[in-house]
Amino acid sequence: MGVVAAALDYDAELMLRVKDGDGASFALLLEKHRAPVIHFVYRLVQEQAVAEELAQEVFLRVYRSRSSYEPTAKFTTWLFRIATHLALNWLRDEKHERMQERLDDGPPDFPAREVSDRRPSVEDQLMYQARLAEVRRAVAGLPEKQRAAVLMHKYEEMDYVQIAKVLGCSESAVKSLLFRAYETLRARLAHMGRI
Amino acid sequence: MRSVLLQFGFAAVLAAGACSLSGAQQPAEQPPAGQPAVEQRLNAVLDRWNKMSPEERERELAKLPPERARRIRLLLHRYNLMNPQEQQALRQRYRTFSELPQAEKETVRQRLREFRQLPRERQVTVHAEVDELRRLPDAQRQARYESAEFRGRYSPQERQIIKDLTEYLEPEK
Amino acid sequence: MNCPMESHDPEMLVAYAAGQLDQEAVAAFEEHLSGCPECSATAADQMAVWQALDVWETPSVSPDFNRRLYHRIETEMRLSWWERLTRPFHPLVLRRILPLTATAALLLMAGLILERPAAVAPATKGAEAVRAEQVERTLEDLELLRQFSAARPGNNEHRDAM
Repeated sequence: MGVVAAALDYDAELMLRVKDGDGASFALLLEKHRAPVIHFVYRLVQEQAVAEELAQEVFLRVYRSRSSYEPTAKFTTWLFRIATHLALNWLRDEKHERMQERLDDGPPDFPAREVSDRRPSVEDQLMYQARLAEVRRAVAGLPEKQRAAVLMHKYEEMDYVQIAKVLGCSESAVKSLLFRAYETLRARLAHMGRI
Repeated sequence: MRSVLLQFGFAAVLAAGACSLSGAQQPAEQPPAGQPAVEQRLNAVLDRWNKMSPEERERELAKLPPERARRIRLLLHRYNLMNPQEQQALRQRYRTFSELPQAEKETVRQRLREFRQLPRERQVTVHAEVDELRRLPDAQRQARYESAEFRGRYSPQERQIIKDLTEYLEPEK
Repeated sequence: MNCPMESHDPEMLVAYAAGQLDQEAVAAFEEHLSGCPECSATAADQMAVWQALDVWETPSVSPDFNRRLYHRIETEMRLSWWERLTRPFHPLVLRRILPLTATAALLLMAGLILERPAAVAPATKGAEAVRAEQVERTLEDLELLRQFSAARPGNNEHRDAM
C-alpha cells in the first residue's frame, strides 16, 4: 500500500512540476508511460501507425492540461482515461471498418516473434501468426468497453477499482464487463491454450 | 473628434495590452536579489534548462549518447524532487566547491569519485574522519595525518581522499 | 467455499487463472476445484485464455515518437500564442472599426519587434540556451557532493548511486 501510494505521489508530483513549468518532469512522465499507453491503444485499435498517432494525442492533451491539472486520481487513471476515450472515439468512426477488413486479410504487419533462441521454422512462424490472428479477432469481436476492460485488466494489470475510474462506471459494472468478456474469450480461445 | 479620441484611446489600450501580454509571458531571467553569484550560476544552469521547451531539451540531449541523456534526466529528476532544505544544503556545498581554483576542483572531483567507489562502511568511516579532522587546528590535524593509528586505519587511497576533502570541502552543518 | 459459478461470482476464478491469488486462497480454491467439475473446467479454460492472450506481443515504439510529439507541442504553443493575440480583434475587424485595426496592427508589430514573448520563441538561442554538457557537469558535481553527504554517520538519506 505504501509503495502504491508512493507511486501515486511520484507521478502526480511530476505532473505538478509540469504544471509549474518544469519540462524535464514531462519528459520523465513520457519516458515512463509512453510504451504502456501505445501498447494499450495498439491492442484496442490494432493498427500501429494509428496507435502512435493516438498516443501522441494523449500526451499532447496531458501537456495541454498542465495548467489546470489537479491530482484528484492516480496519474495513470487519468492518462488511461484519455487514451481510452480517444481510442474508443476512433473505433466508433468509419475507420474501424477498415480494421475489420484487415483482420480478415493475411498476417499482421510487424516482424514475426522469435519463439525461442533458435531460429523459428516456417511452421512455427505460421502457427504463431495463426494463433495471433485468432487472438486479435477474438478481442476485436468484443464490445468496445469489454475490450478496453480486458486489455487494462490483462496487460496493464489494473484492478477493478482503477478500471472503473478509467471507464467512468462502478466497480460492479467493471466486473460484469470483464466476466462477460472472459466468457466470450473462453468460448473462442480456450482450445488454443490447452496444454 | 469623438471618434479620433476613441481611436487613440483604443490604441493606448492595445499598446498597454501588448506590453502586458509580452511582459506576462516573459519569464524572470534574473535571479532573486541578494543571492550569491555562485548560487546564481547554479540556478542559472538548471533553471535555464528547466525553462527550455521540451523540444529544445530533447534536441540537446539527442546530441549525447542515449545512456548519458538518460542519466541527465534521472539526475534532474532527483534534484528537482529534493525538498527545499535538501536543495539549500546542496547549494551550500556546491558554492564552496565552485569557488575552488580549477585544479583543486578537479582534485576534489577525483577524490569524490574515488570515495563513491568505496564500500558503504568505509564511506561512513572516511566521512566521520573528515568531519573530525575539520574541527582540529592545523597543527593537530597534521599530527593526526602522521600518526601510526591514522596510517594503520586507512589505505593510502583513503588517506589521500581524507586529506583532500578535509582541505577543500566546506564542513557540513 | 461457495461455488463461484453457482454464485455467479467468477472473480476468484479469473484471479486464480491470472495467478493473482495468495497461497492460502489458491489452496482453498484448488480444494474446491477438486470437487467441482464445472469450476474445474472453467478454470482450465480461463487459464487457456490467459495463456493465449500472452501470445499477443506489441511492436516497438518508433524511434522518432518523442521528436514528433515535441514538434507538435511546439507548433501548438506557437499557434496558440498567435490565436490569443488576434482573437480579441476578430469581431472588431468584422464590424466597423477598420481605422483602429490598422492602428492595432501597427502597435502589435511594434510590440513584436521590440519585445518578443519568451513563451512563443520555439528555441532559446545564444546565451539563453544551456548545453546538455553544461547541465551534465553541474548535475554530476551535485551528485558527487550529495553522495558524499549521504555517507555522513547517522544520515538516513538513501545513497542509491546513479
